[in-house]
Amino acid sequence: MKSIIPFAKKELIQLKRDPRLIGFLIFMPIMLMILFGYGLRLEPKNVKMAFVDNDKSYFSNLIKTNLWNEGYFELYEVSTKEGIEEEIRKGNAKAGLYIDKTFSKLLTDNAQPHVVFYVDGTMPSLTTAMRNKSSALNDDEVTNDMYFLDEDDTSTVIAAEPFIMDTEVLFNPDEKETWFFLPGVIGVLIMQIALILAGTSVVRERESNTLEQLLVSPLSKVDFILGKMFPYVLISLFEFYFILFIGWSMFEIPIPSSAIGGLVLLSVVYTASMISLGLLISTVSQTQQQAMFLAIFVIIPSILLAGFIFPIEAMHEYIRPIAYMIPFTYFVEIIRGLLIKQTLMTDMIIPFAALTAFSLLFTILSIIKFKRITQ
Amino acid sequence: MIKVKNISKVYGKKRVVNSINFEVNKGEIYGLLGPNAAGKTTTIRMLATAITPSSGEATMANLDLFTQPNEIKLRIGYVAQYFGLYEELSVIENIRFYASLYGIDNEELFHELMKTYKIDHFVNKRSGDLSGGYLRRLALICALTHDPDILLLDEPTAGIDPVTRKVLWDLFYELAQNGKTLFVTTHYMEEAARCNNIAFLNSGNIVAQGSPDEIRHSLSENDVYLLKAKFGSNLVKELDRKEEIRLINQYGEELRFVVNKSLSKEQLHKLIEPYVDEEFELLESSPNLEDVFIALTQEEM
Repeated sequence: MKSIIPFAKKELIQLKRDPRLIGFLIFMPIMLMILFGYGLRLEPKNVKMAFVDNDKSYFSNLIKTNLWNEGYFELYEVSTKEGIEEEIRKGNAKAGLYIDKTFSKLLTDNAQPHVVFYVDGTMPSLTTAMRNKSSALNDDEVTNDMYFLDEDDTSTVIAAEPFIMDTEVLFNPDEKETWFFLPGVIGVLIMQIALILAGTSVVRERESNTLEQLLVSPLSKVDFILGKMFPYVLISLFEFYFILFIGWSMFEIPIPSSAIGGLVLLSVVYTASMISLGLLISTVSQTQQQAMFLAIFVIIPSILLAGFIFPIEAMHEYIRPIAYMIPFTYFVEIIRGLLIKQTLMTDMIIPFAALTAFSLLFTILSIIKFKRITQ
Repeated sequence: MIKVKNISKVYGKKRVVNSINFEVNKGEIYGLLGPNAAGKTTTIRMLATAITPSSGEATMANLDLFTQPNEIKLRIGYVAQYFGLYEELSVIENIRFYASLYGIDNEELFHELMKTYKIDHFVNKRSGDLSGGYLRRLALICALTHDPDILLLDEPTAGIDPVTRKVLWDLFYELAQNGKTLFVTTHYMEEAARCNNIAFLNSGNIVAQGSPDEIRHSLSENDVYLLKAKFGSNLVKELDRKEEIRLINQYGEELRFVVNKSLSKEQLHKLIEPYVDEEFELLESSPNLEDVFIALTQEEM
């Protein structure tokens, strides 16, 4: 018993001398506090909404203005009704509004026109939240001016609602949570394999002194890095298709034939970006323990901020840019697009390009860092 | 085989190796001797192309260290101080892996080497389960599959028992006899004595070099005496202050004095008398490498 205190003291001294660990112990809680305290909300704001207003009347403007003023939706115009669905499919918008050209006429005739409110169903929590916020579309502010009494014909019955809002949930009409979660899980697992396994791989060679032996052999640094990463790329790719298969066979995740090409490309660029990030972690770490901590430091915010669980639209505006600095964000966007929205690969050039750019950036940085540690 | 001219290595403001010069001939065992942190490992790592020298000139097997490191890699074998072997891999798997880096795939050769180095009964044993002596033999094999001209060995017998150390040195001699050039760092005196030529490295500077005999003679302006008697505890402390006494080294109940020739045997006897109760005699001896080593190291300090 007597030796517990000196032993614990020694442990504390060791911890104190590891600056990266202190960073981890201090920054991790601060980061999580900020994220949960300020950043992550379940209430969306500034959600992009594509609209078509064929009526272009005072009344249709009332709806749009009220929606805009509530602050939840950011409206922009598209030309056709099909265009709305297309915008949501491409991920440019998460919601849509269609007002037919007969709107004001039917309204003044007390004939209860219909307005269509579209929501993206790929993210059920966002869908529910958007639906709640759609009340701005037909609350009193809007409808007060929409009741028309015909003084000549007092028999006209004024409906309680001057117009009817139809909500159309696109892509995941049953709002299945597994459709929303499972594709993202593939990305989480690959992230773990890549960052933890590849992340500790170079530093392990360093710790076991085998790196020194390799450096004096004719093996080039590029060959070293490529040879090092190759097995992890294979494992990650296997993992990708394996989980996809399980999702398809057990949870009925749709795999449309149009998605095959995109899935292949996604598996390659996402794996590359994660493995190269793992490599970067491995080159900046002195010990395997540090590499592990760094990997966790990347994984946790990635899961929280990528729109995998919490919608990006519901994040604080200061936190949102961070989401776009995370490769996993683009993975989530692409895989949900491919599987659930049947978005074409060609409509997701930006997220694909982002993943490719991340891979290049991380690879270049790790080669620079690797060259430096071997000098 | 190895020519080093004014080679330095600087890290930031720290000069770890300071403009050193030496030459190693073919078939020679050259020892780089020095205390810890003298710059021995930095020097051998520069020769092994693991790090680039900050300045100077050097050739290995007539190849320029600065411009032809890739060609040099094919001609050298390097066994680092904490030689890197893959613990999870078996003996033969380690050999195969390192040989493959040089494009060598010759099972017959691997088995021949294992036999020569008497590790053939452990072919499939995981290297992590080998004892220190066998680990070094394995490391040596891994550095030899590509038949290098030069072998660079960083502290090759550190932490090894005397019997195994002898076995390893017999192997080194055999390699040298077969025309290989060996460059060895060490801080063991008896190991340095086994080399054909040695250089003393201290705080990044070569403070003496030559054959072990020549080095020993560098203390020729000094005499060495042995005292075998029970002496008072403050003898060493008091006499160490005398300028003429360069070194007092204790071995059990025996004291070694390295003194300047200006101090005669009789004078030393008188100096010692107050601390020794019994009759005693000073025996004349000759400097050994350790005397030189400590004397040179202390001078620098």
